[in-house]
Amino acid sequence: MDTWKNIRDRESGKSRPLSFANRIKSNRISQLELSNHKELISPHKGAINSIQIDFTEGRYLLSSASDASVAVYDVQRPSQCDGFISKHTCLFVVDKQHELAHKFAVSSAIWYPIDTGLFITGSYDHHVNVWDTNTTQVVVNFKMPGKVYKTAMSTLSTSHMLIAAGTEDVQVRLCDIASGAFAHTLSGHRDGVMTVEWSASSEWVLITGGCDGAIRFWDIRRAGCFQVLNQSRTQLGRRPPLLKRSVITKESNTKMRAAQKKFVNGSGSGSGQLPIGRLSSKGPMKQKLHPGMISTQDRATAHYGAVTGLKVTEDGMHLLSAGSDSRLRLWDVESGCDTLVNYETVRLQTSKPIQLATTQDSTLVFVPCMRVVKAFDMWSGNANTILRGHYESVNSCWFNQHDQELYTGGNDRQILVWSPARLIADEMNEGDPDDQDNWSS
Amino acid sequence: MSTWNYVVTAHKPTNVTHSCVGNFTSPQDLNLIVAKCTRIEIHLLTAHGLQSILDVPLYGRIATLELFRPHGEAQDFLFIATERYKFCVLQWDTETSELVTRSMGDVSDRIGRPTDNGQIGIIDPDCRLIGLHLYDGLFKVIPFDNKGQLKEAFNIRLEELQVLDIKFLYGCPKPTIVVLYQDNKDARHVKTYEVALKDKDFVEGPWSHNNLDNGADLLIPVPSPLCGVLIIGEETIVYCSADGFKAIPIRPSITKAYGRVDPDGSRYLLGDHTGSLSLLVITHEKEKVTALKIEPLGETSIASTISYLDNAFVYIGSSYGDSQLIKLNLQPDAKGCYVEVLERYVNLGPIVDFCVVDLERQGQGQVVTCSGAYKDGSLRVVRNGIGINEQASVELQGIKGMWSLRSSTDDPFDTFLVVSFISETRILAMNLEDELEETEIEGFCSQVQTLFCHDAIHNQLVQVTSNSARLVSSTTRELLNEWNAPSGFSVNVATANATQVLLATGGGHLVYLEIGEGVLQEVKHAQLEYEISCLDINPIGENPNQSHLAAVGMWTDISVRLFSLPDLNLITKEHLGGEIIPRSVLLCAFEGISYLLCALGDGHLLNFMLNTSTGELTDRKKVSLGTQPITLRTFSSKNTTHVFAASDRPTVIYSSNKKLLYSNVNLKEVSHMCPFNSAAFPDSLAIAKEGELTIGTIDDIQKLHIRSIPLGEHARRICHQEQTRTFAICSLKYNSASAEESEMHFVRLLDDQTFDFISVYSLDTYEYGCFIISCSFSDDNNVYYCVGTAYVLPEENEPTKGRILVFSVEEGKLQLIAEKETKGAVYCLNAFNGKLLAAINQKIQLYKWVLREDGTHELQSECGHHGHILALYVQTRGDFIVVGDLMKSISLLMYKHEEGAIEERARDYNANWMSAVEILDDDIYLGAENSFNLFTVRKNSEGATDEERGRLEVAGEYHLGEFVNRFRHGSLVMRLPDSEVGQIPTVIFGTINGVIGVIASLPHEQYVFLEKLQSSLRKVIKGVGGLSHEQWRSFNNEKKTVEARNFLDGDLIESFLDLNRNKMDEISKAMDVSVEELAKRVEELTRLH
Repeated sequence: MDTWKNIRDRESGKSRPLSFANRIKSNRISQLELSNHKELISPHKGAINSIQIDFTEGRYLLSSASDASVAVYDVQRPSQCDGFISKHTCLFVVDKQHELAHKFAVSSAIWYPIDTGLFITGSYDHHVNVWDTNTTQVVVNFKMPGKVYKTAMSTLSTSHMLIAAGTEDVQVRLCDIASGAFAHTLSGHRDGVMTVEWSASSEWVLITGGCDGAIRFWDIRRAGCFQVLNQSRTQLGRRPPLLKRSVITKESNTKMRAAQKKFVNGSGSGSGQLPIGRLSSKGPMKQKLHPGMISTQDRATAHYGAVTGLKVTEDGMHLLSAGSDSRLRLWDVESGCDTLVNYETVRLQTSKPIQLATTQDSTLVFVPCMRVVKAFDMWSGNANTILRGHYESVNSCWFNQHDQELYTGGNDRQILVWSPARLIADEMNEGDPDDQDNWSS
Repeated sequence: MSTWNYVVTAHKPTNVTHSCVGNFTSPQDLNLIVAKCTRIEIHLLTAHGLQSILDVPLYGRIATLELFRPHGEAQDFLFIATERYKFCVLQWDTETSELVTRSMGDVSDRIGRPTDNGQIGIIDPDCRLIGLHLYDGLFKVIPFDNKGQLKEAFNIRLEELQVLDIKFLYGCPKPTIVVLYQDNKDARHVKTYEVALKDKDFVEGPWSHNNLDNGADLLIPVPSPLCGVLIIGEETIVYCSADGFKAIPIRPSITKAYGRVDPDGSRYLLGDHTGSLSLLVITHEKEKVTALKIEPLGETSIASTISYLDNAFVYIGSSYGDSQLIKLNLQPDAKGCYVEVLERYVNLGPIVDFCVVDLERQGQGQVVTCSGAYKDGSLRVVRNGIGINEQASVELQGIKGMWSLRSSTDDPFDTFLVVSFISETRILAMNLEDELEETEIEGFCSQVQTLFCHDAIHNQLVQVTSNSARLVSSTTRELLNEWNAPSGFSVNVATANATQVLLATGGGHLVYLEIGEGVLQEVKHAQLEYEISCLDINPIGENPNQSHLAAVGMWTDISVRLFSLPDLNLITKEHLGGEIIPRSVLLCAFEGISYLLCALGDGHLLNFMLNTSTGELTDRKKVSLGTQPITLRTFSSKNTTHVFAASDRPTVIYSSNKKLLYSNVNLKEVSHMCPFNSAAFPDSLAIAKEGELTIGTIDDIQKLHIRSIPLGEHARRICHQEQTRTFAICSLKYNSASAEESEMHFVRLLDDQTFDFISVYSLDTYEYGCFIISCSFSDDNNVYYCVGTAYVLPEENEPTKGRILVFSVEEGKLQLIAEKETKGAVYCLNAFNGKLLAAINQKIQLYKWVLREDGTHELQSECGHHGHILALYVQTRGDFIVVGDLMKSISLLMYKHEEGAIEERARDYNANWMSAVEILDDDIYLGAENSFNLFTVRKNSEGATDEERGRLEVAGEYHLGEFVNRFRHGSLVMRLPDSEVGQIPTVIFGTINGVIGVIASLPHEQYVFLEKLQSSLRKVIKGVGGLSHEQWRSFNNEKKTVEARNFLDGDLIESFLDLNRNKMDEISKAMDVSVEELAKRVEELTRLH
């Protein structure tokens, strides 16, 4: 779609401003390639494990690496311009020279969601640290029972400051920055927890993925988890099929629905309990067992093997999960059903958590598939683009919604920038006034 | 500092987004309800056409508007949902003639992505539920209970992601929707679902249909007994139901709107993107559809809504041109067109560009907009105030009064114009050559000043001088009778109507005379305690020749009194307060409401509502019109009575929606005015101003005067060149003859008086005009038009080639002087330090104007700055360059002369998608963004760190609710240097909905005062539908919602003047400021626009 016509249609009111922006964005995203105008110079001497850009301005990138280092970059304002390539060196790095630095690999580094004054790191040295960005001092730290795989904070939260941490331990811990103590432990997984993700629609809902292959949904205000995803439950036939003729009576129709419902209840995740948004409906169900308890006993799995990555879509309606079974699944959050989108065969890393990224309009998901990053169409599962650039396995992706840029970090210690193609030729030609006469006359 | 801004609407939105017809104001009334994005208008269909009943603002952008009738109700309710997820149900209260909110609520969700194709709101025809599609993948249901009240809403998952339209089907036992959607492979299908209210879920519906027309975009549900749905595509129309399917091919077109003609749904009006109107007929037998037929009817404005009213009257609402009231004739005219346009309703939208000019060189700005689109494109000249079109004028010094007289009582026209001077009276009349010539009325006394003249019954005329009142025959022109003032007293003030004379002599004597045939009889005499300053007995009762009330203004106690006639009993006495005496009083009636107007010697005007039977005065309001004494006179224009207030700032007082409005007249100073409706100058006014007597006609009485110049093509950019007195526009013409969309782009030159096309330059194939400015260069005295273009090739994502064309105007022709190829689209041009600054794709590029050896000029690239996503909007001031990026908010660049380089100084790191920028002052920059917000950013040159200095801080944020395409410095009103408002800098903006608005940068003290007033007003004025003003004005986009700051809503503040006295008092109390003071300060602001 042509940008110029889009702009014209917007100014005359022919296209809505919102759909204008969405069209421009998806057009830009479809042109993603290794950036020809932006470079990040990584100071890390080990594999990059996580990448995150702040939510307020989309300006500061935080990366963590296996050499126990953490670094921050300004991705908007280059530290130097080399011709037409802007280079971004890190603003600071916390590595082993720093007295408070982690001792082992930093598996996860995230920004405090409200501002960039704090960031949080989780390390294989069993610690979760909260850092003051300006002084690079640890302000709070939490001792965990094992290697920390992943930390997460809710970007929606207005009433709590909880860090969810997934570790080698079977329990997920919620660390409260405000008090400096553990607020909760969430029990249910039967193995370590590689990935944790907060819901995009409720500040109280946490999703965790364990090495036991289970994906559990927790409402942290209630005991136990309220939903366990089951890979055998799919969206097929969720609604009664189309009736070819109205001769098929309504009776049969309702029967089918009843059967459907029973099944849902049986799995202990009746949609009646869903505390997400206003989707909840007060179903007429009566439980005898405490709902949290039912689900604790639920041993359903979402993947064979470990769940290595989780990502909720921006709209909060779907969840993507990656497993060591090299499968990528798209779940409908409300029903807990697998949508059965078949993502073209991928080989995924099995040993480490991976960080997936989605575009804002939830049409593409970026998945680290060993040395490449594949951009899948979320709804068809087709691999739209394959981004090749890393020399070793990619661990993490971050999509910057502000600029429609993708940042990826891998075992090759590089952070690569993928951006919409820019017409550099034009700038080259017109750059130097001395050259002008050569072509302008 | 321009931090504190006041935003006010000068021209309300006119883009019609929705309309519907029903019985809203009473079971018998047929109403047309029109939504203009943020306003709702309610009209009543009468024998004479549409009559406006109500026009109110809504605190939201209307997303859906539907009338519905719950069970057991006799009239319709109005359902409205706004783009920011509020909804309300409104009902008409017949007693108070107000909208009452029946219910309201919020339908926003934390989950889901806002729909791309716009929100859908539909109501089940059997009134069981309201359905909303607001987020992709969700269908929200608000069920009704048995009593027609709304119950709690819930969501149902909708698996179809790309929904194009949803409608409820008629005649279904359970509420059933039909969904038109597009799948992953871009194929379009329809599907039906039953809504199971108990289970809060869908059940797959009775039928579906796959693989429709690729352009299918609109569903029309067909009422019982036929039921089913019409699917309107670009090449076919399909009728689809559980047991029927019919399809017909149509001429390729994109249907934009439909209107149902018959209640049984057998005929529909369809309006397409080219403005042609067709009739779709469903033929049926025994409730089975047998065929579809489509017939073209003719051309209208490009319709966004079609409402069939009654008896072949149709309302066409338009977003791209004027809305229309049309009649469908049974027989076609000579061109085969069945459409007859009865009335046009002005629409300025979309305003894609405009310029501010002073064509008349009167010191008053006018706005010339590029309005409309496609075939309905036009230029509109928007001027504040009422113009006088001068017909004739004579030099006459020292006029003290003027009156027009007829030569006989039955004569429809005025013949004489009596002009009074300090020591004589002269009479002018129209001669046979239609010239104004001095004449004589023998019976009049012409050696003295005339105090008052009037036509009287029985072909008589009355003249009052300081000595006497004379009754003269208008046929023989001879004196019939005379009343002499008592000796020792002279008449000071006098007034009269056709049967009565009231005069006052020194010593406070009030004398009442009655006019008979040849007789002038003193009927009553009263002695008042003080001297009388002014009088009026203008008849406002049932008898047009006689008044039963007399208004009298007094010296000394500064009061205005009402006396009964003929007995001269005092009925009411109202002290005016202050020390300024009333100089002119007037009894008048507007829209059936009687008023007493009282003008003071210092330019203030008081108005009261007058109860004509009791003489009670209520609802006192004071406004300031000027600084000099005011003389009030009535006149009529287009069969409506208005009041002319002559003073140093002449004003017309009129009434609209039962509110008194004041509109200034575009004349500098008027001492006297009288209507003069002669055969040669019908409907004219005689105006005495600055030593001159002028006869002229008056514009339509409205605040803004709009002149329309239809172009038949779409003008996108405009600029004015003072030196050559021309406008230049970039425009495009659609070639709708062929099915393939093709366009031709032009640069056109227009005369700035006649607006005729005087020259044209056609751009290349695929070359589009993007921007135009008038500028001059250093070392060259000529002025040029510079045009930026882009080559938009079908296969390219972004233009990679464009041109800058430099034209001069020679003998009224555009001459191409120089051209320069660019490597991208030239989105913006600015004159910059005697050079030309262009925004080309990602880059800002500076060109200098270089003289070549052969004496010709060329543009030569000097330096540039890259690093934008797309530099769309650029403004400059001195060496500073402010860039509005496609999606990266505002950045500030600086040109360094020594180095000949452009560098970035600072940037706003918010991700605002820009639509316009402007520089308010050295430090404050104004931006408008994609989600209808305004914001300002501040340069922080005193910041302590590089980081702080490199950041443009957000200074103000505000939700305008309008998409701004352009800002320009300037003003719509005459800037009087002595007034306070004359010092306030203003920026004008134009929007897609046709709004012209003003942003005024206020002094801090005034801002703080008005902010307090605004928050008091929020408590007193309740929004329609219970919507909150505070929420409405909060800055809101995809990323954040924050309270408005450093912007005030002038529309709310100025509505203070429309409040009744009780509410004004309430606010006055809360503010601890007198009502008069508040009114005065608010009135000052109304002069900004």
